[in-house]
Amino acid sequence: MTITEFKTACETLQQEYQTKISAAQSASEVEDLRVASLGRKGALTDLLKSLKDFSIEDKKTAGPLGNALKAALTAALDEKQSFFATKELNEELNKTEIDLTLPGEPVACGHRHPLSVAQDRMTEILSQLGFEWAEGPWVEDEKHNFDLLNIPLHHPARDAQDTFFVDGKMPLVLRTHTSNVQSRYMEKHKPPLRIMAPGRVFRNDSLDATHSPVFHQIEGLYVDKNVSMADLKSDLTAFMKGLFGDKAEIRFRPSFFPFTEPSVEVDVKCVFCQGKGCNVCKGSGWIEMLGAGVVHPNVLKNCGIDPEQFSGYAFGMGVERLAMMMLNIKDIRTFYENDLRILKQF
Amino acid sequence: MKILYSWLKDFIDLDLTPEELVKKLTDLGIEVASVETTGADFEGVYVAQIIKIEDHPNSDHLHLVTLDLGGGKTQRVVCGAPNVAVGQKVPLAKVGARLGKIVLKPAVIRGVESEGMICSSDELGLTHTRAHGILVLDENLTLGTDVSTLYGKPDSLFELEITSNRPDLLSHLGVARELGALLNKPVKFPEIKKIAGEGKSLQVEILNPQGCPRYTGRVIRGVKNVESPEWMKTRLAAMGLNPKNALVDITNYVMFELGHPLHAFDLRLVEGGKIIVRNAQAGEKFTLLNGRELELNENCLMIADEKKATALAGIMGGQNSGVQDDTTDIFVESAYFNPPTINKTVKKFAVSSDSSQRFERGTDIEGALTALHRASELFVELCGGVASEITDVYPTPYKNPQVVFAPQEINKILGTNISDERLKEIFSRLALSFTTDGDKWTFVAPTHRRDLNHKWDLAEEAARFAGYDQIPVSPTKASLAFTDAPKGIELGRRFARRLIGLGFCECKNIDFLGEKEIKAFGFDPKFCIKVKNALAQGWDYLRPTLLPSLLKNVESNLRFGNNNLALFETTKTFLSMKGFPVENYAVSGVLCGSLAQEKFFAAAQKPVDFYLLKGLVQTLLNSVEAITLAPAKNVPGYMHPKICMDILLNGKSIGLLGQIHPLTLKTFGIKAEAVWAFEFATKMIEKSFSAQDFKPAQAVAIFPPSLRDLSVVVDKTVSYAQLVSALDKTPLDVNLDYHVIDLYQGEHLPEGKKSVTFSLSFSHPERTLKDSETEDAFKRIVEQLRGQVKAELR
Repeated sequence: MTITEFKTACETLQQEYQTKISAAQSASEVEDLRVASLGRKGALTDLLKSLKDFSIEDKKTAGPLGNALKAALTAALDEKQSFFATKELNEELNKTEIDLTLPGEPVACGHRHPLSVAQDRMTEILSQLGFEWAEGPWVEDEKHNFDLLNIPLHHPARDAQDTFFVDGKMPLVLRTHTSNVQSRYMEKHKPPLRIMAPGRVFRNDSLDATHSPVFHQIEGLYVDKNVSMADLKSDLTAFMKGLFGDKAEIRFRPSFFPFTEPSVEVDVKCVFCQGKGCNVCKGSGWIEMLGAGVVHPNVLKNCGIDPEQFSGYAFGMGVERLAMMMLNIKDIRTFYENDLRILKQF
Repeated sequence: MKILYSWLKDFIDLDLTPEELVKKLTDLGIEVASVETTGADFEGVYVAQIIKIEDHPNSDHLHLVTLDLGGGKTQRVVCGAPNVAVGQKVPLAKVGARLGKIVLKPAVIRGVESEGMICSSDELGLTHTRAHGILVLDENLTLGTDVSTLYGKPDSLFELEITSNRPDLLSHLGVARELGALLNKPVKFPEIKKIAGEGKSLQVEILNPQGCPRYTGRVIRGVKNVESPEWMKTRLAAMGLNPKNALVDITNYVMFELGHPLHAFDLRLVEGGKIIVRNAQAGEKFTLLNGRELELNENCLMIADEKKATALAGIMGGQNSGVQDDTTDIFVESAYFNPPTINKTVKKFAVSSDSSQRFERGTDIEGALTALHRASELFVELCGGVASEITDVYPTPYKNPQVVFAPQEINKILGTNISDERLKEIFSRLALSFTTDGDKWTFVAPTHRRDLNHKWDLAEEAARFAGYDQIPVSPTKASLAFTDAPKGIELGRRFARRLIGLGFCECKNIDFLGEKEIKAFGFDPKFCIKVKNALAQGWDYLRPTLLPSLLKNVESNLRFGNNNLALFETTKTFLSMKGFPVENYAVSGVLCGSLAQEKFFAAAQKPVDFYLLKGLVQTLLNSVEAITLAPAKNVPGYMHPKICMDILLNGKSIGLLGQIHPLTLKTFGIKAEAVWAFEFATKMIEKSFSAQDFKPAQAVAIFPPSLRDLSVVVDKTVSYAQLVSALDKTPLDVNLDYHVIDLYQGEHLPEGKKSVTFSLSFSHPERTLKDSETEDAFKRIVEQLRGQVKAELR
């Protein structure tokens, strides 16, 4: 066999088997073709036997040619083989019968309390607005809960906060608001200061749909040089946008708190009707959200801060009230009943 | 405070609708709780009787109704009300009638002309509910009567919520003054006839001038205690008072009008001809005119004659001196009492009146005399009689302080840009005196405004009258610093996150418990914080532990069929140490049923057992290195005596875990097989906690371990802890990791023995172990266990 004849034989062989492999109809046909071409008595094996008679020079040409042909046929066979294997597997998988609409297996999963969900969101927003954490005792002396905050003894403003009194060495109360953190913090820290203080507060109010003797507030306090009502409005606007979205708008209404002057009630444009008037806002388009104001000069003085040099604002908001709004909860008692059917929703 | 619109108009010209007035008041910071409209605000509506009802040719729900207007006149209207019936007398609004702001025009309804309208009460403005159907009137009314005459003049009653700093708004005059300043309208004070007076009044002696800085009064002789006139009775009724007789009614009327409370004594009952303002003696008894008997203390300010006390000053008169039907001579008091003095007594006895509410907030000391004049005028006009000279004891006239400030200080407080002109305008309307000298402005408030003492108060006035919408919204500025959250709060949050990850639901409970519960949980009430004025029994103490509340949550959830519970709470607990409160954060949890909340096919849910509880607690606390668990030294009575462990931090107990005692469950009404619980205080953990500390990462083995199982037989009395303590002490050249995979006792084992199987995992950080090394380690372990706990290979 000449080298030319060898080349021709290779080409013929390649063409013949490529055609046959392409046409193969099953895995076993592919296996038969593998034996017929690459097997011990296969066509390619036979052809390669002729190599031994070639000159060294010719072997250098014929050898790689034969190897390339072998590799090409192997690859074609493997590919076809894998095609049939995949097909067979898929046919098997397609026989699977399963109702995917049956329920998933329940997994133990815990839930954050709705009040925590709301409070976490609020502290997260305030945190991003630069408020630092602060806290104060829940059982408080009258000095920090009332006196330093410009709520004098024998004043109706003091009576307005139905107070729980407790036995102790000194006159103690359960704090009626988180504002005790203001007096506590300002005694120890000097301006600039910008704090938030979430926590529980207590009022001697019977439990009903809108009152609870225990509830939660978040106090905010910012004292520095040149802090004004405008800063209060700006920061609370930012806060409400965080809570209710970019369209949130607030308005100030004059009010009275002994520890702020001027004092305001802050309303937010009704998030349910965008201010058009609905059941939630009782047609007014606004919802009362929190109380705030410029820190009363007496409070600053009482805590050792010069009101001519520094000024500040403070706000206090009820977490329950905001949570009821955010989470569409109608009855404050829902928060303290801890019914799993409610807890699981958050 | 109730305000009648028509009464307000005595003082100021207003052409606002009730809605507009509410808006103005709200903008001023006066909250309007409700508005009630009374009377008839309509014209051209007459009584008519329905004589015929026919179907409307083009509608299945409208009717053609023919009415008799009296005098032989009839009219036909279209009506859709479901309740029309022949014979009814109804209000007919003729074409041209005015209903509120609407004037009725001729109308063609579905092709039929309607010559008017039969009205519902809503359409007449008599009610604000969507009443169904027409208003049916009394059948005895004469046809053709003007319906508006049946209801009186239109009026509105506003219920205002007045903040405690503004007692001057507790009267019609006060509200008029505020509106006058806003609308720049003059306030017309009533033309008060100042009666000169004839004859002597009573002598007045003030023994406590601090409690009573001013006392005015006069005698009016020869009065007749008649019934009050209709106009006065109507107004007092609107204020919510029951009119009694002219002498009493006049004092109340003047109070609601001018804001100053008055009191009238029957002169017959004032003994000795002298009024003495003094403090009570401790133990002195006094009967109020409502019949209540008080035992007074030295703080109570009294009005007295020479023999006895006649009134609890500023709060309520006594039973022994009030005016009666046959009273002919009276002494009228118009005084100013010190607010804290009144407040003390009000709080002490929980007595309150319209009068005390004004005095304890502060009345107008100058207004006392005006009120006396006004009352005298009404007494003489309505009851006849002759007024005496006036007694006026007012040793130190009151003046408000001067407020000196610069206009820019106002804008600085508010962050606004209100012009000087606007500020001047506002302040001059509010001031008793107001002068400007360049930037030096001086303001003195009138005596009825004791709340305007410094520039911050004036800033509020400026904002109120200029409008709070003047305050701009600018970008947030902040003085940033960084501090961590308080450790107690931060740890609570971390444990809460972990617990939620482990399948627990967070609870929040009211912080109160009863004495029984406290005792049942091993606390001595002496060391707990007691609420003096508890809301209810069972809410007397602040919780020293969170577990009772959580057990109540278990009970209520079981009642609602929530049988699989994993609940936790993290908040403060309270103790009292030597009379001082101690507040500590605690983390507490309970488990009941199985951890997965819902059922899945018939698969049995694995109920929580002690080891699941222990695993959960260990996982919860695995970030705190110094924590160990050990069988409880002293098991508290509410826990299972054998299933309770201490949670130890550096060997000191900070809490416990285990099974709740079945009797405790019974006490709480819990019908569950078992409830598992844990609780620990975080105080000690806080001490070593820092948000800046992180556990350094440990490198993991990269060479595969060699695994061996080891089964040993030991005495039943040998605990797992003893076994692994021996195992841990084995001297080894390789790393060992293990866990228990089987525990067996019973058949094929000798009596009193148990078999424990461990899966051992040997490894080396730098290479793969040779079999011989593994064998050697295994042998050493077997030797160690044999030596230490007499373990035999099984």
